[in-house]
Amino acid sequence: MFGQLANVGTAAAGNKKQVGSRFDEEPPARRSLTALVPALLKSLACVCIATALLLALDRVLPSNLFTIVYLIPVVIAATRWGTWPAVAAALAGTAAVDFFFLPPVYTFNIDDPQDAIHLLLFLFVAIVSSNLASRLRNEKEALRQRETELQYLYEFSRRLAACFTIPDLIAAIQNYLTQTLGQQAVFFVAKADEQFETPNVGAVPGEVEERVASMIANIDLPAYTIFDQSTNSIWLLRAVHSEATVYGVIAVNIGAGSAAAIQTRTGRVEAILEEASLTLQRLDIGKAMDEAKLQLQAQLLKDALHGMLSHELRSPLAAIQGSASVLGTAPAIREDERLRSLTEAITDEVQKLDGFIQNLVNAARVTANNVEPRREWADPKDIVNAAVKLRLRRLAEHRVRISFDHDVPLINVDSALIEESLGQLLDNAAKYSPSGSVISVVARAESGQVVLSVSDQGVGITRDEQNQLGRRSFRSQRHLGTIPGSGLGFWIASTFVRANDGAIEISSRGEGLGTTASITLPASSEVSNLTLANE
Amino acid sequence: MSKSVNVVLVIDDEPKIRRFLRAGYELHGFEVHEAENATEGLKVATFNAPDLIVLDLDLPDLHGGEVLERIRSWSNVPIIILSVESSEEQKVRLLTLGADDYVVKPFGMAELLARSEAALRRYFKSATESSVVVAGPLSVDLVTRSVSLNSHQVRLTRKEYRLMHILATHVGLVVTHDQLLKEIWTGNQRDNIQYLRILVRKLRQKIEADPNDPRLLITESGVGYRLQARPET
Repeated sequence: MFGQLANVGTAAAGNKKQVGSRFDEEPPARRSLTALVPALLKSLACVCIATALLLALDRVLPSNLFTIVYLIPVVIAATRWGTWPAVAAALAGTAAVDFFFLPPVYTFNIDDPQDAIHLLLFLFVAIVSSNLASRLRNEKEALRQRETELQYLYEFSRRLAACFTIPDLIAAIQNYLTQTLGQQAVFFVAKADEQFETPNVGAVPGEVEERVASMIANIDLPAYTIFDQSTNSIWLLRAVHSEATVYGVIAVNIGAGSAAAIQTRTGRVEAILEEASLTLQRLDIGKAMDEAKLQLQAQLLKDALHGMLSHELRSPLAAIQGSASVLGTAPAIREDERLRSLTEAITDEVQKLDGFIQNLVNAARVTANNVEPRREWADPKDIVNAAVKLRLRRLAEHRVRISFDHDVPLINVDSALIEESLGQLLDNAAKYSPSGSVISVVARAESGQVVLSVSDQGVGITRDEQNQLGRRSFRSQRHLGTIPGSGLGFWIASTFVRANDGAIEISSRGEGLGTTASITLPASSEVSNLTLANE
Repeated sequence: MSKSVNVVLVIDDEPKIRRFLRAGYELHGFEVHEAENATEGLKVATFNAPDLIVLDLDLPDLHGGEVLERIRSWSNVPIIILSVESSEEQKVRLLTLGADDYVVKPFGMAELLARSEAALRRYFKSATESSVVVAGPLSVDLVTRSVSLNSHQVRLTRKEYRLMHILATHVGLVVTHDQLLKEIWTGNQRDNIQYLRILVRKLRQKIEADPNDPRLLITESGVGYRLQARPET
């Protein structure tokens, strides 16, 4: 799909290392003198310090250590300031050895030919080690830079995943480009009618916008460079596209400066732009946009559901249930078993409907990525009891057995969400197991975690079904015609549990052999130490 | 309750809800006033001095929370909030603002009546009345500070009694975590709900028939605890 750009991309990826070394490890000769002079002075200062120390040492304890000691400034200079300062340190060291320590001292002459060989050997070793050390330093720097880039990239993909709306998405892309490039970067997003969204970041020259429009309209214009005379700056433009669609154009302000500086910056920006457009494709910008739109719609739907469903539907339900409950207290009805069962049926059905509404509201919440747990330390026993109690009548045809480990630790969760999830598992257990069978609910501690499990003696679950669980609206073919349901329950439950840093696991020994669903949540580690003084 | 007939004011914009509330309350010997919006509700609350107010949160002219605050600025009359699906946070906020309890729609009349009676009992409790709070098999003597279960004395630690005492003075009504923490602990411990959870476990061991299935000391998830006035058996 991304054939055209992928080609460019592979080429770019292929010579990326080269590009990197061209710009990151520039030879110091080309580096500006202002950066080199202090480094040279510092390495010479190191040599001076070494000389002073050796002279002092020589007075107390004459030794032959000088050549080895002079290697120290060389290595320091190489690892900190690069090759040339290290070479300078090596030369200065050689001169100092000759001048201060080789007879005749305080001259640059050498009497003993062996000393001369000694000195040349030192110079050779010093230069080789300076080279090795500075190469090490360059590699370390390259690694660090790569790490920073990766970090940006990670941050970028994380932000993309959290993007809600298209403006969010654009902000994330721009932010990424500006951070990685260190220049003003703008991302123009293409719209359906060959138009583009005008980003609201700083001023962009009119000429750039015109060019962007033509690039979005015409897929054969993948890159362009513009010199803007009014601000005296250069803009690089690059299209992000697949074979058929242009998703947008990235524009980067390179600024002004000398021809050499501009060329350096252009090379660097181009290298990163290739990378960025590749990244955008890898992250599938088109899909991301669609998802952002979907999320926006889900958010709107959620808001609508929240307001309309929960209010407009629940109010009539409240009137129905309230009226039924008042009728139920009237002596004539209370004392007649048949009539009483009718008012109870009204209440049961209202509860069921209310459960459906809650499910829809929850589903909308999950779709809109709007599950933010409000955590508080809670007793797992309370959560289990509340979930069971709410479904007492729906579970009336089953024998529910609850058991707790002695001293189950507390858990730091949003109890409402966990209660809802456990309730979904209970509903499923009741739906998929015969009436009269046992549903057992257990809360136990297990290696620093708390496990809440619901086991039934029902239809069980096949391997194939297990793989599909957790998908929204998944319902097994086996039960489609026989057992009512929306397929939302388990999906909601697993999302709510995940939001609390937990996990749901479903296990079954096979078809017809019952199912066990377990919610695992991190437990409090400190609670066992939390002793209450018996005051 | 000290009065022969209690007057309840229902503030709710849904006529059908007002209708069943009127029927439910009247069948239990209450006199009922109705108001369909906040303005009218505030007026009736001021001039008719009801003994109890049932207040819906979604009113057309003013949010129920605002109405609650206004009434609380001049009166301690018991107020029970009706709401459609409110978050725990919102419930806690309303209780902190001075609501006596809340009921979430849809609800049964029995539940609302139980809350109403608990709120009235607390409000009209006079000095001449007995200092003993009874909740099912449990009785708490607030003067002698003794607690008994099925007429057997129960020995509580100081903190356990503190908790028992606060819940007993609010019998039938919810008490927020915050309120309990502030009244039982001092210093840093006041913010640590874990202490409260553990204390509740210990108290349940002593007063519940089955501490794993509590019927007296009920957890209101995310909000607080309630000592059930008439526990289910």
